[in-house]
Amino acid sequence: MGALVEDVVASGVGKIQVWRGGSGDPVVYLHSANGEAAGSVMLEQLADRFQVVVPMFPGFGESEGIEHIEDIEDAAVHLLDLLDAVGLEAPAVVGTSLGGWMAAEVASRWPARVSRLVLINPAGLHIDGAPIKEIFGRDLAELAADLFADPSNPVAQLMNQMSALGEKDLAEVPFEVLRPTLQALQATAKVAWNPYLHDPKLLRRLGKITAPTLVVHGSADRLIPAVHAATFVASIPGARRAEVEGGGHLVPLEQPSVVADLIAEHVGR
Amino acid sequence: MRFFSFHLMPYPSLPADYDGPAWVTCPNELFDPAVGTRIYNEYLDQLVLAEDLGFDGVCINEHHQNAYGLMPSPNLMASILARQTQRVKIAVVGNALPLYNPPTRVAEEFAMIDCISGGRLIAGMVVGGGPEYYSFSMNPAHAREMFQEAHDLIKRAWTEPGPFEFYGKHYKLRYVNSWPKPVQKPHPEIWIPGVGSLETMEFVARNHYAYMGIPYFHISVFERTFRMFREACGREGYDADPLQMGWLEPIYVAESDEQARREYEDHFFYFVKRLLPGINIQPPGYTSLRSYQNILKGAGSFAINLQTWDEVVEGAYAIVGSPATVAEKLAENLHRLGTGNLLGLMQLGTLPDHLTRKSLGLFASEVMPKLRAEFPVAVPV
Repeated sequence: MGALVEDVVASGVGKIQVWRGGSGDPVVYLHSANGEAAGSVMLEQLADRFQVVVPMFPGFGESEGIEHIEDIEDAAVHLLDLLDAVGLEAPAVVGTSLGGWMAAEVASRWPARVSRLVLINPAGLHIDGAPIKEIFGRDLAELAADLFADPSNPVAQLMNQMSALGEKDLAEVPFEVLRPTLQALQATAKVAWNPYLHDPKLLRRLGKITAPTLVVHGSADRLIPAVHAATFVASIPGARRAEVEGGGHLVPLEQPSVVADLIAEHVGR
Repeated sequence: MRFFSFHLMPYPSLPADYDGPAWVTCPNELFDPAVGTRIYNEYLDQLVLAEDLGFDGVCINEHHQNAYGLMPSPNLMASILARQTQRVKIAVVGNALPLYNPPTRVAEEFAMIDCISGGRLIAGMVVGGGPEYYSFSMNPAHAREMFQEAHDLIKRAWTEPGPFEFYGKHYKLRYVNSWPKPVQKPHPEIWIPGVGSLETMEFVARNHYAYMGIPYFHISVFERTFRMFREACGREGYDADPLQMGWLEPIYVAESDEQARREYEDHFFYFVKRLLPGINIQPPGYTSLRSYQNILKGAGSFAINLQTWDEVVEGAYAIVGSPATVAEKLAENLHRLGTGNLLGLMQLGTLPDHLTRKSLGLFASEVMPKLRAEFPVAVPV
């Protein structure tokens, strides 16, 4: 398995950290609010077969420029710039949750720039009676239970440990340990606070997507109700759905090989 | 020293079996309008009493969707007080600017209060508490810049001839031309409350406004906060005037130390354990990381963590006792903090009307004169 290597590219908003690995057909991966990138088993497995490009969204990792992004439209335009900056005319684009929403925005606004699309438990829609659960201000142990079907996942464990800290303990944690998470949450809030994790105009634009699309749904996703995945499938022309049995919201972290195989199968068609 | 009587207008009747937060999601089926009718009137009467007793001003503030403070519109309360009082300053501390759209609404309503009261308004401006960004679904990542822009707009609406165009990032107004305008020129005294955010202190220092330290922390946190504020003024090239600083502190006076504690302790802990939970939520982007780092330093000493009365006394989370004890402790801490405004939170939690009135009376007759002698009013710079 090829580890990803760090690169930096200049986009319209500033310096963007990009993780790269492998060769062959290009696959751009857009991370969730969790910021999964380097060290992701799923991405390393994909890098065995494809040229994998993982841009960190502004505010995540070392990427700059969040001050120039006010909403999801700015985020989409930033990603369009980024495709130009990394020299990819029409790569496959894969995104999880927040990243899935961004992938759908790019593919529906500029259909020619996306050759294949994979949306993994995507956010992006509001469906009456089926709200996406709160991600901001939650107790971390409760949030972990919504994000992971498997409580033994290391990230879920870390969230549980953080939850157990009192305010006094939290004040003792070196700030540099907290900083990446706080920055990532701020960046997420900027695009996703209100409208909450969706774009009211996305649904009627989904019909413009021309890329063959796979919607991957974790059957045990407790954050986003299943009807969201079903609505993406019903609204994107020709979209298919793949169910990952027992997969939680962050299924790429839980079942990396299963998801990597689904992506590879779809992109390699 | 200027003495203010501060009121939060808390909801005193949360059921004993409710142990959830008092903010954002506290079910409003727990609100009893009959209780509301009683307490709004009691609380307003307590503020009017403060004028009769010789306080220099009264303070009210704004919070939404919570049991901690029942003033979603402090301006309604201020307009009542403008009519029912004749002399005191009416400090609205403050309006949460980003929650008013367009914020010319604040310029208008504050000007109304200033006109009705004959120039007695102190105009407080706040970003709004963290919970308000949930209650209003306002993007906390925009909070600071919306506050900044709204402040600029309000100040211009008060001081520049209209109509003029205001074209900001968040507010785009083609005709700004506020009627009425405030009595006080160039504008009412402006107070900004804060919990230790560096940006806020620097903003207050730059504009020569007054900084109000938000309570419920260990006294050492206030000490650090006001030291930082004085440093911020120093960086602007001037020494902070004591009247530019206000210390908000729960105070209770009774006939003896022992009686004061006996009458007060349960009401204080209702406030701490029932009304504070949920107040300190920090939505993402609400403060800069630099400020958040500073705020975290004080987080462990937030009153919500208090377990015993000894801790309350040790950290001066409330000043409680006989007139002699209260005067002595307030004097000691006022020397330590260097603030020229004392904002006494004279009612809190479930403290009933008759005890609040008794404490107000003892404070005014036996504590205030001693402190006035020890801290003569400074002339504003």
